[in-house]
Amino acid sequence: MAKEKYPNPKFFRMKDKMDWKRQAENVAEIAEICKEIARETDWKAAGAKHLKGWKDFGLRVADEARAVAKMSGGERLDLLINGEKRLGRLYKAGAMAFTRREWRGVKDTAVDFYYWLDTWKMFLLTFGKDLIPSLNGVLNYRWMISYFCAHSFMDKNCMGLRGEALRMHHIMIYQIYRYVAENIVFLNKADKHGGNSEELSRKIVLLDEMTMAQLMAGFPDLLGIPYQLMPVFLLSEIDQLACIPYLDAVESYGLPADACPVPASECGAAVIDALPICGKCFISSSMPCDGSVMASSFQDRRFKMPTFHLTFPVRYDDEETLECGVEEIKHCIKFIEEQTGAKWSWDAYFTAMKRFNQETSFELEKWDVNKTDHPQLIGPIYELFRKWNYEMDGGLDPRVLPAMKKVNKIMLKAYRKKAEPWRGKMRHRAIVWSVPAHYYANFSNWLANCWGINVLVEMEGLNFTKPLETEDEQGALEDLARLYERMVMRRHTNGGYDHVLTELWRQVEAWRPEIVIMYQHVSCKTMSTLSGLFDEQARERGIHMIWIEHDLMDPRTVSRRAMRAKVNSYMTAVMREEPLDPSLLDFEDDVTW
Amino acid sequence: MKDLKHLIYFEGLLENANNALVRQAKAEGKLCIGYTCFHMPEVILNVDNCFSVRLRAPNTGSMDIATYYMSNYSCEFCRAILERGIEGGYNFLDALAAQDACAEMNRCAEHIEILNCVDNDKFFVTHADIPYKVVDYTVRHYVTQMRKRVLNPLSEVYGVDTSDAALRDAVRRHNELCGIISEIGEYRKLDNPTITGYEYHILNLVSYVCPQYLVADKLRETLEEIKGRKPDPKPWYRVRVGIVGSEIDDPELTKLIEDCGAMVVFDRYCFGSTPGREIIPLNEQEDVLTQICRHYMEVSECPRYISNEKVAQRRETADRLAKEFKADGIIYEQIKFCDYWAFERALASHVMAEEYDHPVLSIDRPYNVRGSGQLRTRVQAFVESLEFKRIKGGSE
Repeated sequence: MAKEKYPNPKFFRMKDKMDWKRQAENVAEIAEICKEIARETDWKAAGAKHLKGWKDFGLRVADEARAVAKMSGGERLDLLINGEKRLGRLYKAGAMAFTRREWRGVKDTAVDFYYWLDTWKMFLLTFGKDLIPSLNGVLNYRWMISYFCAHSFMDKNCMGLRGEALRMHHIMIYQIYRYVAENIVFLNKADKHGGNSEELSRKIVLLDEMTMAQLMAGFPDLLGIPYQLMPVFLLSEIDQLACIPYLDAVESYGLPADACPVPASECGAAVIDALPICGKCFISSSMPCDGSVMASSFQDRRFKMPTFHLTFPVRYDDEETLECGVEEIKHCIKFIEEQTGAKWSWDAYFTAMKRFNQETSFELEKWDVNKTDHPQLIGPIYELFRKWNYEMDGGLDPRVLPAMKKVNKIMLKAYRKKAEPWRGKMRHRAIVWSVPAHYYANFSNWLANCWGINVLVEMEGLNFTKPLETEDEQGALEDLARLYERMVMRRHTNGGYDHVLTELWRQVEAWRPEIVIMYQHVSCKTMSTLSGLFDEQARERGIHMIWIEHDLMDPRTVSRRAMRAKVNSYMTAVMREEPLDPSLLDFEDDVTW
Repeated sequence: MKDLKHLIYFEGLLENANNALVRQAKAEGKLCIGYTCFHMPEVILNVDNCFSVRLRAPNTGSMDIATYYMSNYSCEFCRAILERGIEGGYNFLDALAAQDACAEMNRCAEHIEILNCVDNDKFFVTHADIPYKVVDYTVRHYVTQMRKRVLNPLSEVYGVDTSDAALRDAVRRHNELCGIISEIGEYRKLDNPTITGYEYHILNLVSYVCPQYLVADKLRETLEEIKGRKPDPKPWYRVRVGIVGSEIDDPELTKLIEDCGAMVVFDRYCFGSTPGREIIPLNEQEDVLTQICRHYMEVSECPRYISNEKVAQRRETADRLAKEFKADGIIYEQIKFCDYWAFERALASHVMAEEYDHPVLSIDRPYNVRGSGQLRTRVQAFVESLEFKRIKGGSE
């Protein structure tokens, strides 16, 4: 049996029909903008700024050299072997990038560099499969530029990690990056403003925000792309400032600023034409919240594309609602068949779901390890990977399963060694509840490095783990409906307070955290409307609950610095502790990626 | 115009959720079922010996305790209801028929349940699942939910007769009341209307918050009065507007708008008469509950229905009403923090202006509008712009 190739190599080879005239016009427009910038730039001031940058660089190097000189022989050896411990040095006020790469000790720096190179290799090979449309995408879409800092995203999420944890994180983020790179190539290739490949566009089914991919497993000849993932959703995790133009646009259009920035940004992206134009049809969804339900009307107005509104019952515990969910799945499949001419394949679906079930069992193994006194796979990349694997990959990509297998092997080895992902920094067990801030995706990394607060798991990762039916068709449809009803966020925020409020106390019992990092996403109505009860019940149980306000994709409302300040206050005033790394206590990163 | 005979009486009924007629019905042994949303069919809450009360929190002042529980980022209507519940303002309820349609109202109902806000041992809160679109299987789903979540608990806890015959009788009474309100509403179409938007708002609102069987006679009498009512020689208003949007249970908003010279000629908002006061047609062949549910789903104008035909229906309805009632403009409003109407208002206000050619004022507003000078200024500016438009149109 031939090895299954994913994604279908034919998709990369489909013919482009680039509108060169339009591209030329776009380049001319950009040239005009560049000229304008050049005219308006105060070159004297820019030169002075540049010079100051070099001077600062010199001062920093001298400062670091002095710090090393002051060290004892043992400290220097430790630095050489285990790496640096004052990570605040990597930040510079007003700079988007880190001052330099982290020194992790000889071995781990080499490991880190190897994976860094490997990721670059993957990027070059993937984009090389059809480079020109993506280059055009860079000239057409502002969001494409933000992906140039993808490596920085990897660095900041791995900050402070050593040994097995570092390797596991790199393996996991590689899977996500490969998926993103491939989908960016496809989006640009099919986009009317880019490659304009009608042939590919006919194969693309666009999926609404966070709509799970599993449904597409039954259509191996089609390509399901989560439409707003690359231009909006993931982007906001990579570059904290990326969604601001979308939010400003849609608020100028009339949307109140209290709406959740996820659907608001998506609508804003539609308003300013930041979304590629491609695809045969669109699957909108009612997930996970009221705001996201409404975003589809903005999309629809722009694209006028055949749309199926995939809507599931909210009170999903009630098994009598399942029939309605199953009907939705059936009608959605029929819709895709009618629009694309493709035929649903049970064989393909069952094959992918068998993989997904195996992946779920690997996930459960991770939970088992993290529940012990020696958690191994913790940190922001694991959190992101879990969500991506559950939602976007969903067992479709056969390359992911071996990677997960490898990660679990490393994890068990590390567990046997009683290794620490953040060496010497395992002070408190914590779990994260509610919605994390996209613009501070590596917050749990800072918690560990600065205060030794180790996030074992976060709410959005705790989803449906029942193995999906892979033999009986009716049973499979029912499981698929159950799965979709319990997608990330929806699993907790829909269907009644038991799913999120009482569920927290159940998880607290299972994971034994001392601290609950309680995010308060100021625009999330489903969560904020339970804040009083969370507070009361946490007090009754004697749990340290640290409330962290944020505005998901808009760092102007609550900055990263303000988020950190909440933890700092709690740890010093209530816990009466000193930070593990004082250089991370307070620093400016308002524009840092 | 001469004042309506019962207007002060009706206004008095709106001063308190537990008004004189609610107390009378309770004294007569009737069961009071509270609800907050159009997704909960009012008519089935009036079955047998039950009567429905659409919950309001008139004269709301501070919402501090509700804000502690639900944060200050949530809908003020929901918070006001919870605050009133915590104060013990809904102790007259025998049940709360809630729906999981918007997250904020769902949380409000959950708090009423968790915090034991109603001092009544048999009181229960039920949460029905509401579909997002109208197709055969979602209608079936809705019917199941209404049977399982509303009618069965009423029958099991209080022994209410929820048979087809009882439901048919409830529909008959409901249609009678809707007929009266709809007929009164027609007088707003006149060039020189014999009823103001504010008066209509009061009459319509009492029909939602009082036991129907106790308020129907006075409403009928008011209808007769309006039939013979003589308008002022010249219309009192400067322009005619319609309101489209989220929950409004405060007639003061209509009063504020009319004080600015804009007569409110149609009310396409939650708690308004479109939808809500249509006759429910029944045939003899099909199950009654299915017919009721389908009716509510089809006439619903809630933006939570996201399918394309429902989006189009909402725009068509606003356009139709504006034409039928000869409105010079439309006010799209939303209560602050309402996600559904936030998105709907932002988009529809552009669509109605650009594609349907209706001047639109787009506003978000607090639950209590009395002191809103900002809102008054915006309405005044809108009225002036409509007048300018008319003058400009005339000169051209």
